[in-house]
Amino acid sequence: MLTVRNVVKIFNRGTINEKKALDHVSLELLANDFVTVIGSNGAGKSTLLNAVAGNFPVDSGEILIDGKEITRLPAHKRADFISRVFQDPLSGTAASMTIEENLIMALRRGKVRRLCRAIGPQERAIFHVELEKLGLGLENRLSHRVSLLSGGQRQALTLLMATLLQPKLLLLDEHTAALDPKTAARVLELTCSVTEQQQLTTLMITHNLDHALAFGNRTIMMHEGRVILDIKGIERNDMTISRLMEMFEKASGSHMNTDRMILA
Amino acid sequence: MFAQIALGTTEQGLMYSIMVLGVYLTFRVLDYADLSVDGSFTLGAATTTSLIVGGANPWLATGIAFIAGNLAGLFTGILHTKFKITPLLSGILTMTALYSINLRVMGRANISLLGSRTIFTDFAKLQFMDEYGILVLGLISVLCLGVIIYFFLQTELGLALRATGDNELMIRSLGVNTDFMKILGLSISNGLVAFAGSYVAQNQQFADVSMGIGMIIAGLASVIIGEVLIGTSSIGRTVIAVICGGVIYRMIIAIVLQLGLAATDLKLVTSLIVITALVSPNLRKKIASWS
Repeated sequence: MLTVRNVVKIFNRGTINEKKALDHVSLELLANDFVTVIGSNGAGKSTLLNAVAGNFPVDSGEILIDGKEITRLPAHKRADFISRVFQDPLSGTAASMTIEENLIMALRRGKVRRLCRAIGPQERAIFHVELEKLGLGLENRLSHRVSLLSGGQRQALTLLMATLLQPKLLLLDEHTAALDPKTAARVLELTCSVTEQQQLTTLMITHNLDHALAFGNRTIMMHEGRVILDIKGIERNDMTISRLMEMFEKASGSHMNTDRMILA
Repeated sequence: MFAQIALGTTEQGLMYSIMVLGVYLTFRVLDYADLSVDGSFTLGAATTTSLIVGGANPWLATGIAFIAGNLAGLFTGILHTKFKITPLLSGILTMTALYSINLRVMGRANISLLGSRTIFTDFAKLQFMDEYGILVLGLISVLCLGVIIYFFLQTELGLALRATGDNELMIRSLGVNTDFMKILGLSISNGLVAFAGSYVAQNQQFADVSMGIGMIIAGLASVIIGEVLIGTSSIGRTVIAVICGGVIYRMIIAIVLQLGLAATDLKLVTSLIVITALVSPNLRKKIASWS
């Protein structure tokens, strides 16, 4: 489904702040894979996600979705196949617009915006059904402005918006990091159910090692712009956090900054 | 006599409200501080008057003014999206360039339309329209444009435009080309402003290269007054609010002039009006919390 081949991304090349964020990263995701991405700060996890999403051009390498090359496509053209949920609960929705307006924009993801009335009774019915599944009472608040919602509600809404129209690839960038534990659990639950229901290929960055092993079917670990561990199948089923950290230290030759990962 | 002044002020207010709709589109909807308004207002006036004096059909000339405004907005948009110039600076650059362009279009610093055929002289020929023709034409124009803008902002394209101003990152990840949206918004906005300039020039029967100076302030003041007095709970309400704001602003100016202030004091008055409008909601809340 997703092929990342030898991708290199260097920031501030030639200056004193030069940073090789992605160092010949290669990754192959099969359809239906739910891959969790872990790694210390600055490892390149968000850079990888941003490169796949198209927020900046890569210096070299190729990115393919379903065999089709998208390396040169700008972010808005990749929206046809790729959906994102951001870390900041406020960046996934338009605050001054209503819930139904946000949802209708998500329903048109990747499609041309026409000069016709956006929302009709048919769409409202769909939104009602989908919002009910979130279990947050939002289905009765379709015409309320999103600015009235809490961070958790907005993040749940963003998740719904990302999956309203089934994407080929779902990118989750620490999407529960800014939420309280209870809401984070709820959003993760929703993430699980929707990815299972729609059989979505997902790439999820997380700082929480528990979540990294509990969710999905595959875990990769990045360090200094490279993928140093790729665990799936039986090896992953038997994995524990302490063994994971051991493997990390062996593969990277340094200690992992674990406080945030364990306490997150 | 008072009725005459009230009539004249309302007529003016309605025409300037067309410009206020344009300012609303960029300043509020797109969240883009577009200063090219000062230039495009005059551009509309200049284009129409030169065409009319050259013998063209005034209705056609007014339509062409709209297109001229579109081009000005397009220019600002390209400066910002393709050359990465900041919103504020790109508007200033367009406004500056337009000063010279307007002089070129008119051929001189001002053109008189006395004795020429304008949309108002045409409209006055209709039944019952000789006394109130200007008011009616202005009213119809503003209402039509207001309705069009209202429905436009509810279309898929309109929603994408609003989202571009609200959360560019999000709408880009939903597949909208935000560069195109900004150019579209700026284009429509400056088109409206130029259209208003055309109306004003035909009403006062002359165009002057400096008539646009200070338009952006008048536009912003009108938007703010309208929003504070009428509210912004929905798009429809906001559109009505900014149109009314345009008229109310002109009325305040007219009253102030009647009270004896010199025309040169108007900028101070405008400033005070905007300050009052911005401070009053907070003041009201504070007074409510004391009692």
